[in-house]
This record gives sequence, structure tokens and C-alpha cells, in this order.
Amino acid sequence: MLYAIRHKSMMQLGFATLHFLCLPWTAPGEGLAPQAAQCRGASTRGGVDAQKNLLTTVAAIALAATSVMPAHAEVTIMYAEWLSSPVEPGIKNFEAATGETVNAIKLPGRGYDQRIALDLSAGTAADVIQMDSFMVSELASAGYLHPLNEQGAGWDQFQYYQPGLLEVASYEGKVYGLPTDTDVRMLWYDKSNFEKAGIAVPWEPKSWADVLDAAQKLKDAGVQYFFQLPAGTKQAEAATMQGFYMLLLGADAPEGDRNRLLNRETGQWIGDSPAIRRTLEFYKTVYGELGMPADLNYAADPGVAVREALANDQLGIHASGSWEDACLWDCNGVNLPTREERDALVGWTPWPGSGEPGAKATTNISGGWTIGVNAKAANPDSAFQLVTTIFDVENFKAWTLANHRMAVRTDISESPEYMEDAYLAKATALAADTTGRDTVPGYQTVSALVQQMTAQILDGAEVEDVVQEYHDAPVDEFGEDKVITYE
Amino acid sequence: MLPALLLIGVLLYFTARAFAFSFTDLALVGRKSVEWSWVGLQNFERLFTRRGFSESLWTTVIFVFFSAIVGQSVLGFLLAALLQGTQSTIKTVVEVCIMLGWLLPDIVAAFLWSATTSQTGLVNSLIVVPLGFPPINFINDYALPVVTIANIWKGTARSYLLFSAALDSVSREVVEAAKVDGATPFQRIWLVMLPIIRPHIATNMLFITIWTFTYFPLIFAMTGGGPGTQTQTLAVFLYNQSFSRGNLGFGSAISVAMLVIVGLLSLVYLRMLQEPK
Repeated sequence: MLYAIRHKSMMQLGFATLHFLCLPWTAPGEGLAPQAAQCRGASTRGGVDAQKNLLTTVAAIALAATSVMPAHAEVTIMYAEWLSSPVEPGIKNFEAATGETVNAIKLPGRGYDQRIALDLSAGTAADVIQMDSFMVSELASAGYLHPLNEQGAGWDQFQYYQPGLLEVASYEGKVYGLPTDTDVRMLWYDKSNFEKAGIAVPWEPKSWADVLDAAQKLKDAGVQYFFQLPAGTKQAEAATMQGFYMLLLGADAPEGDRNRLLNRETGQWIGDSPAIRRTLEFYKTVYGELGMPADLNYAADPGVAVREALANDQLGIHASGSWEDACLWDCNGVNLPTREERDALVGWTPWPGSGEPGAKATTNISGGWTIGVNAKAANPDSAFQLVTTIFDVENFKAWTLANHRMAVRTDISESPEYMEDAYLAKATALAADTTGRDTVPGYQTVSALVQQMTAQILDGAEVEDVVQEYHDAPVDEFGEDKVITYE
Repeated sequence: MLPALLLIGVLLYFTARAFAFSFTDLALVGRKSVEWSWVGLQNFERLFTRRGFSESLWTTVIFVFFSAIVGQSVLGFLLAALLQGTQSTIKTVVEVCIMLGWLLPDIVAAFLWSATTSQTGLVNSLIVVPLGFPPINFINDYALPVVTIANIWKGTARSYLLFSAALDSVSREVVEAAKVDGATPFQRIWLVMLPIIRPHIATNMLFITIWTFTYFPLIFAMTGGGPGTQTQTLAVFLYNQSFSRGNLGFGSAISVAMLVIVGLLSLVYLRMLQEPK
């Protein structure tokens, strides 16, 4: 809504300026003369009309300016469409409890991260902001976020948040966001297509070779999108997390962080390593040798494209995460098929490691989203109250359970309803051996570079060239001493 | 005078800021977004020493040449010439159809074209499969031609309207005189009408080249620059570098380079606008 107001105001401003300047609203050469004559007329008729013009313009500019200024009695919030179901009742409860108005800005999921970063850096973001957890440290390091420790201490439900997950949303010891949920990642698969390809279900691959073997069989059976492995820049963080990092973690032994993007001990980015090369070779096999079509990664809406492919029986394996239990149908949990129907259609299996000596047998990496407060919030206390109203257990528990989200607070995760849920119990077991992203400043850049690498593989580039270029980019960004190479 | 100065001032201010940022390491987020420093010509050097810029420039040139100059302009002119002077229903139908493409929002158009050119889309169901061929995944296998055609469909209306108005302005007597002198229809168009509407052609070229060179929404929504980097035009490359990678300094250098290229092209067109001596 704020966007709409701002946009409208800019339009008003634009038209007012045009009016004021008496500019023709036409292209050069297309009837310029009549407008010019009108303009001359206005000036020769003397002061009255010109003054009127000026007054109208000043009034319009003043009106436009006042409409862009945030009203102080309001609290504003920006959130992604897929989180509507817990956020919107929270907003209603907040308005009922405080009498304040909430200006809610619901945004599409695609391009959401960029929009938030841009609005925060331009000083035009809302008071309360939903953010992907990987962005928190980066945004906090620039001073865009308000620390929540002090206010959190005064909220009786703050104690239930798991410290490890608060750590992900922290920077230099201060918490800047409260997590909404966490997740695990796995390989989803269409059971009917597996049967068609003659692959035993439940599918239990033990190495990358098993995964590629299944992909080949699915392809031979005529399944068009036999292995949807997120790749490329349009997939954004999904390419890094659901695809690249899940492979990377299983591509080499974990000692010395040889299977990561960052050496967490020294704080250096890994510019080149056998694990990075093996991961890219895997991408090359899937998209090059096996010939997986890349278009789902670049569809107008990749999420919708994957759902369509599933509905049309065109999907084989889909590298994704625990949220797909709802999101393969509807992320807001509306009209989901029954548990039995879903189980009959799709299954999932943990991502196996590469099979290299010392590499992990299965891999996992967890992310999640958070809600935080803008450092420029007009009233940080009201903003935090909106956050806690959304996260109130009465409101948030229902969403967590209905959408099979992995709980981030013990009062929900230890509740009987949560513990009795078969899907959540199985998914939570994967979380026993998970890791987090390298959520230090710079991650967003490195993640974008990783996405760029996968895009180049789709172009048919050689792994050697892609790695060389990847190595040089963090050197450009962070300096030679911040980048290491593993032989 | 003052309002004009204000407008020029605002325009110069933004251009100067982009120009200044192109010499910095300013980032979108993180410490470098507040504590940036001057890096000299480093960003401009990287335009040529790092992969991305020259490839995107080439993609942009192909996209602009085929979709704007050849597609929109030539098709727009041909339609305008063919329908000139007629008042038939066909003219109304054609005008409404090409206007629909122009009026449809970019994002809606992107979804329509994606759906139409996918493996299960309209083109395959109506043409390819009934003819006995296996379905083709156009948007995956021929991404750049598909976005080029989509842009021709989207933007032909502008050229058509401009050329239509220009051809209407050609004096009937001049054309009739040429006819009496024995000029063929082709000669009448090539030797009589085209020289008269030459300024209009140049104006149209100028507009659509600038517009298409920096065009972003349709191509980004349809393919996001992919698959891989097949449809990564300079505008998409600029977006990825500035907002995904978060390097606003480098992004500004790309925009300055785009400004220079478009400026040079504009000079060529402006020369075309000058009356021959």
C-alpha cells in the first residue's frame, strides 16, 4: 500500500511538474506546435494564469509530499505473500488490542530479498520487515536493523526460542530478527513416475551415482523434467541452498570446512576446491550430459512452473525442502489434499553424499525466515509489539502445524500436536545433522556468485573456466587475503 | 526558465550520482553500503576483464536489432503502408490487435508468452503436435528468438501508429504526380514517400532503440536472463550485478557504459534527422 501511495504521489508529482513546465505530452515532431502555442499564450496572457498554474502546482506538490510522509500513528509492515496466513490475523489482533492502524505491504515472493535490501538502504522500508535469515547479519552490519534483545527480555515468550536459531538472526551478539520457522532439505519425487521408470519406491539413494542413475531412468521413461535441480540467477537463493550447497556439503570431507563456501575458522571464502569442482561437474552432468531442460528455473514463476509440471505428471525428482509438503500445492495451506493423497503422489528422501572418501553419507542445510524491526522505525516499541502479536503462540502455532513448518520454539516443538505429527517427526530427524548458511556479511554476494556459476554451467561453460571466474570475483569484492584455495 | 533549469538540474543530479558511484565500491547492503570508498577506474576495467558485460552487450545488440529495428520498425511500416488510405474492417481489426499487445502490461504479456511457448503451450498444441511433430520446448530451446518475437508483438503498435500518421501527412498530389510520371508502386514508396517521411523514420528509430536497449520488464519476467545467460541483456545484467550481487558501484559503471552507447547511437539518428543539403 505504501508502495501504491508512493507510486501515486510520484505520478502526481510528475504530472504536476509537466503541467508546471507546460511540456507537451507528446513525442518530438508530433504536434509540438499547438502545445507550444498554448504555452506562449499562457505567458503572454500575463500573470493571472501563470500564477494560477504556479499555485496549482505548489498545491499538488504539497499534497504529494504529505501523502508520502508516513503517518506517525501507523505501524507499517512488509511481508511476503506466502506468509500471509499467520501475519494477517496477527495484524488484526494488534489493531484490536492497540487501536493503532497497521499499513500492511504484501509483496510477491519473487524478488522479495532485493526489494527489502533496496528499501532498507534507501530508507523507505516499513517499520516491521520479514527477511530471509541469511540477510540479517548483512543488513544489521549496515545499521539498518533495530536490536531486539532489550525488548525481547520483556516478552514472556522470548525464552522459548531455540538459541541456535536466534544466533542465525544475530550480528555481533545482538538479535535482529525472530525466526518464523526453520527447514531441512531433501529430494522430493513423483511416485507414479518412479514406478513408470521401474525405480523401487521408497527410493533410498546412497550416493550421487544412484541419483544420476535414477535421473537417467526417468529420462528414458519419458519424464520431461526428470531432475529439477535449482540453478541459475532467477532461482536466487534456491539455487544456492536447494541445489549447490546440498551437493557441496557431500562433495568432500568436512574437515577444515573443505565442503563449504567459507572457512568458518579463518573467515576466508573458498574460491576454489575439489568440492566446488565436483559440485559443478554434477550440475554439468544433469543439465549437459543428461540434458535436463533448464526452463523451470527461468519460468515467469518457477514455483508455479514446478507445481504445473507435477500436476501434469512431468516431474521426476525435485531438489527442494521441507516446506514442499504444503507448497507443492499451496504455501498458505489452502485446500491441501489429504495426508494420504499427498503421500500417494509424492515421497522424499534425504540428499545422499557424493560417495567420496570421508564425505558425509547424507547432507543437510537449514535456513528459515525472520521478522525484525527497522532501525528507522518511528516507534520501535509499537513495531516490536506487532512482531510479538504475530508470533503469539495462539496465532503462530496453528500456522506451524497446518503447514508442517519446522518449529523454532520449544513451546510449539514440544507440544503433543507437533510431536505426534508423523511428517514433522521424520523431517525433524533430518535436522539432527544439519548446518546453517555462512551468515556473515558477504554471504549474499557469494551466494549470487554461486548462482552465476550454475547459470554458466547451463550455458555449457567448462568447469575450469567457471571456477576461475568464481575465484576472481570474491577477490575483487573482499581482497586477496579473504579468499583461499583448497587443492 | 526556472522550471526548465530545475528539470535539467534534477536530470543532471541523478546522472552525476550514477557517474560518481561508478568510481566507488558502494554496495547495496553490508558495511560497504555506508562506508564505501573510491576505487578509481576499477569498475570500468572490470567491464572488459570480467565475463558478463561484453556477452550481455552482444545479446542486447541482437535483441535490439531484430526486435526493434527489423521487427517493430519494418513490420510497423509495412502494416502502415499496406493499410494506408483504406477504411476497411480489416484495418480496424489489425489496429485493435496490435494495440492490444501494446496496452497489455509487461508482466501479463510475459506470462502469456511463457504459457504459449512452453512444451504444453498453445503453439505446440495447435500447430506442432497436430502436424505430427514432437512438441518443442520453445522457451527453453529458443529463448532469445522467443523474447525477440514477444517484443516485436508488444511494440509494433508504436511504430505502426507513427508511420501511419507520417504516411497520411504525405501530400496526395505528390504521389499522384509520381503516378502520372509512370512510377511503379515500389518506386512511389521508395523514391517519393520514404524520403518525405525520413525524419519520422529517424525519430522512431531513435525512440525504439533507446527504449529497447534499456528494456527490462518483459525479458526479465519471461526468462530472467536465462536459460543460463542466453537472454541476459545489459539491463538484466545491470539488475543482477546491482541488486542480486549487491555491487552498486559496478552496476553504476554498467549504467554509465549503457548511457555512452545509447548516446552514440542517438547521435547517429540525430544526424539522420538533419535535412540533406
